[in-house]
Amino acid sequence: MLLRSPKNLHYPVTVTELLKQHNADVDKYAPLFSYFYKSTVTTGNDFGEWVEVEKTFPTVFESETDGKIVSWKIDAGAVISGPGIALVEIEEPCRHEVQYGGMCADCGKDMTMVSYNTSSRDSDRATINMAHGTTALFISQSEAARLEEEAKRRLLSKRKLSLVVDLDQTIIHATVDPTVAEWQKDENNPNHGAVKDVRSFQLVDDGPGGHGCWYYIKLRPGLMQFLRHISELYELHIYTMGTRAYATNIAKIIDPDQKIFGDRILSRDESGSMQVKNLQRLFPVDTKMVAIIDDRGDVWSWSDNLIKVNPYDFFVGIGDINSSFLPKRQEATAKEASQVRNKALAPGPAVKKQSGQDENGSVAQAPKSTNGALSRIGEQLVAMGGGGDPNVLQSQSTQQEAAIAAQVSDRPLLQKQKQLDEADEKASEESTNSDSDSEQPSQRHNLLHDDDNELDFLEQHLRSVHRAFYEEYDRKLHGSHGGRVAELRGERPARKLPVDDLRIVPDIKAIMPFIKAQVLRGVNIVFTGVVPLGVDVYSADISRWAKSFGANVSDHISGKTTHVIAARDRKTAKVRQAAKRPHIKIVTMSWLLSCFLQWEHVDEGPHIIHAEPDETNLHGSTKALSPFDEPEDGTKLSSSDDEAAVTDYEDGEAGLTIATDVNDDIPDSLLPTSPTDESRQLNAAEWEGIGEELKEFLGDSDTDSDSDASEASNSTRSGSVTPKNRKRKRETQSAESSETEESDSSAKSQLGSRLQKRKRRALERVSSLTNVASADMSSGLPSPDTTGPEGGQEEEDEEDGGEVKKAAAGNSGEADGDEDDDDMAAALEAEMEAALDDDEDD
Amino acid sequence: MFFLHELERTITLHPSFFGPRIDTYIGEKLLQDVEGINTGNYYVVCVLDSFDLSEGRVIPGTGSAEYTVHFRAVVWRPFKGEILDGIVAQVVESGIFVDVGPLSCFVAKSVCLVSELNTTKRDFLTLQKMIPSDIKYDGNSTPPQWTDNADQVIEKGSHIRIKIKGIRVEVDEMFAIATIKEDYLGPLPNE
Repeated sequence: MLLRSPKNLHYPVTVTELLKQHNADVDKYAPLFSYFYKSTVTTGNDFGEWVEVEKTFPTVFESETDGKIVSWKIDAGAVISGPGIALVEIEEPCRHEVQYGGMCADCGKDMTMVSYNTSSRDSDRATINMAHGTTALFISQSEAARLEEEAKRRLLSKRKLSLVVDLDQTIIHATVDPTVAEWQKDENNPNHGAVKDVRSFQLVDDGPGGHGCWYYIKLRPGLMQFLRHISELYELHIYTMGTRAYATNIAKIIDPDQKIFGDRILSRDESGSMQVKNLQRLFPVDTKMVAIIDDRGDVWSWSDNLIKVNPYDFFVGIGDINSSFLPKRQEATAKEASQVRNKALAPGPAVKKQSGQDENGSVAQAPKSTNGALSRIGEQLVAMGGGGDPNVLQSQSTQQEAAIAAQVSDRPLLQKQKQLDEADEKASEESTNSDSDSEQPSQRHNLLHDDDNELDFLEQHLRSVHRAFYEEYDRKLHGSHGGRVAELRGERPARKLPVDDLRIVPDIKAIMPFIKAQVLRGVNIVFTGVVPLGVDVYSADISRWAKSFGANVSDHISGKTTHVIAARDRKTAKVRQAAKRPHIKIVTMSWLLSCFLQWEHVDEGPHIIHAEPDETNLHGSTKALSPFDEPEDGTKLSSSDDEAAVTDYEDGEAGLTIATDVNDDIPDSLLPTSPTDESRQLNAAEWEGIGEELKEFLGDSDTDSDSDASEASNSTRSGSVTPKNRKRKRETQSAESSETEESDSSAKSQLGSRLQKRKRRALERVSSLTNVASADMSSGLPSPDTTGPEGGQEEEDEEDGGEVKKAAAGNSGEADGDEDDDDMAAALEAEMEAALDDDEDD
Repeated sequence: MFFLHELERTITLHPSFFGPRIDTYIGEKLLQDVEGINTGNYYVVCVLDSFDLSEGRVIPGTGSAEYTVHFRAVVWRPFKGEILDGIVAQVVESGIFVDVGPLSCFVAKSVCLVSELNTTKRDFLTLQKMIPSDIKYDGNSTPPQWTDNADQVIEKGSHIRIKIKGIRVEVDEMFAIATIKEDYLGPLPNE
């Protein structure tokens, strides 16, 4: 240890004598050299006067540590001008490189002791915590390097690699829903087959009230075989965000004789971070030989060592019970992933069923809709992700307890099965209605499906990574031994030191990304309707995942685009745009996920969405109907789609630009939160009504419409109202839903309220037609302002509004809410008039 | 080392326990409060008998009563240099964790480098200070173990005899550093 001049001396100091010779043993606090310093002091002299005198103070410098003096850096007579100057090198008997519980593990000294002449704390010498099961053991950087080197040598000799394995949703799926136990006992339950091999254990300290809580663990299909095979090639580590007790219990289940994981279990208790997983926690020096399998890429910051797997979502809607501390999972990918599991992995028949009318098809839909309907416990859990603030952590842990308690009491699985049963009953009723000789209707459908094959592929990938690694290693090993050239030169093959062996160890961070990058090389992907609104297309989980496989992601369709990833049931502007270019393949998410799963550029065939560039819609009023498509897109798409939408529509008839007008005027934040099924399920009569309504709305001059409409007014009442009134009525219809907003806006200036009004009106146009109740979505990206004909249209709207205001001149000073009341009154009046007109016609 | 130790403790009792069985309650509360705790220097293993129960004193403002209890207890205090038998809790590359009752000890590999001047690591003459040099870590065996490839095998669950080299106390935890590099230390034959 090199001693330097400390900060707390009175500089400059002059060394007078070195008190210890070279090679001398010194104790702590032993005087090393004597020195003096000068200082002015105030003293009284014999005459009682106080004078300032410069005095010399001789003193000694004491050793900070014990040991043996290696070399002096100063001589007698030297003047030390300030702090930080090297004084003497002392070799310590112990460097305190391994510390346990605040003690040096080598010499047993207390490392937390600080004395008056300590320059650096001993506990700072060992700061790396790399042991799995304990937080009390710290080692120094050099010790860590040495340990890791030994570990690497050991692995190389056994031709193994390290593999860090996540538990939840990667190799198992856990729930605390006690319904599972009931299903296990009940052999008649449709889910019995799927849950009969679910394992369970009880954690006493966990769960609500500390009474203990039963955990039900479903192993991913083929797990045991997977672990057995992979443990021959890899040394496996568990790294989980669950508690220690949870992790050890899981390990007992998946590795009963501790042959696979041994003690290499790292849990939340020792991880050191609640939000992220860090490979440096286990491999502080280098991670060349480490691979990771996890269902979440974000917690690993998309490390190159990571193989991201599809989340295992066996207990539908439960999610990851241990993820409450993690940042929120990006919803689209998770949801899509769970959707495709049933379809994508067996693409052919499942997709056919989906489109067909048979019973299975309709039931396959059921879990999805229940997914949306019931609040996902897992979602509640992941929504709590936050910073490292201790208060936040505290609240997170209490919330996790609450969420687990809720799962125990609410029994989401049972609820879903009930819903599924109801759906079944309906379906069977329908089927008995349609064809009498269908199979027995009493057959219930199971909520849980045991059809995951992720691990088969994962094993292949891990094998290929292992093979590639050791091929590279062998090649380098061979090359570095001199090889043929050296032989010809007559050189003796140099005796290789193992140190050099380690230098040629290839890096998995280079090998694995290289293998993966081959999978989707040359593929240019545009996402549409898949990436949630407000998420940057480039940094969304799915994009980063795709990029790790060598794909390019862009946000608009260009000449380079090869694939458009779209949702099957939504025809977005980009889909239409892409459909015009025959070389672009429009595929579902399932294609991409199959590629990820198989590490192959799989055939797009089963995943293709067939979209014609100019699709003909139901009742001829195709283009006019597009507003009902657009809002749905808006809910899911990034704002860049709006631009695409504008151009798309401007290609079409100019008079129909009203469609984009609707979309552009609405800030994305105001759009309905969920794509509504109702709009798609409008029956023919309604479609007709809407079509007519729009016709009216667009062509005010069309004089026939009134009389035509009034004829049809018995079936579609709405037809009888004049366009202006119609609009007002719409406003009144949705007045309730936007009431809160109005009260806010009423306080604002006239300009603000006008803008607000425009937005609201635009929103109402959408919402009144799609029956969306809630319009409060967290703020997304602002949509670009529109110019051109749409703007003109908007001006007209504004004038309409102005008329209304004039009509309600008496209340002009009052708030917007009143105006709306007036609107309602006017609408009612107009409706009455229309009814009178009808009477007259009759 | 175990001691019979006389201790004193103040027990606060809620008024709902006042009654004829108050002595029993105090005794229960004492056992609950005291047994198994780490006072900083020693662990209280077992309360033998309680005697000298003071008069109860009601604390103004709360209604609870305070009793001072004198009692005798078996306490355990580990000392530096003491030889103890324990069970191996975990085996890692850098050493062995041993549980001696509530005390968690670490037997470090703690290689001391005899010759530091040579720069290539290979030429280091290494010497294990806490573990005999012939006992090496074997991470490839399952479970991982320290072994001399003969009759001495240290794995999780093994019985082991250690000597304490250092002890440190934190709030409610005690840590110890131990060695097995002395005569008659090391793994014990499992019965």
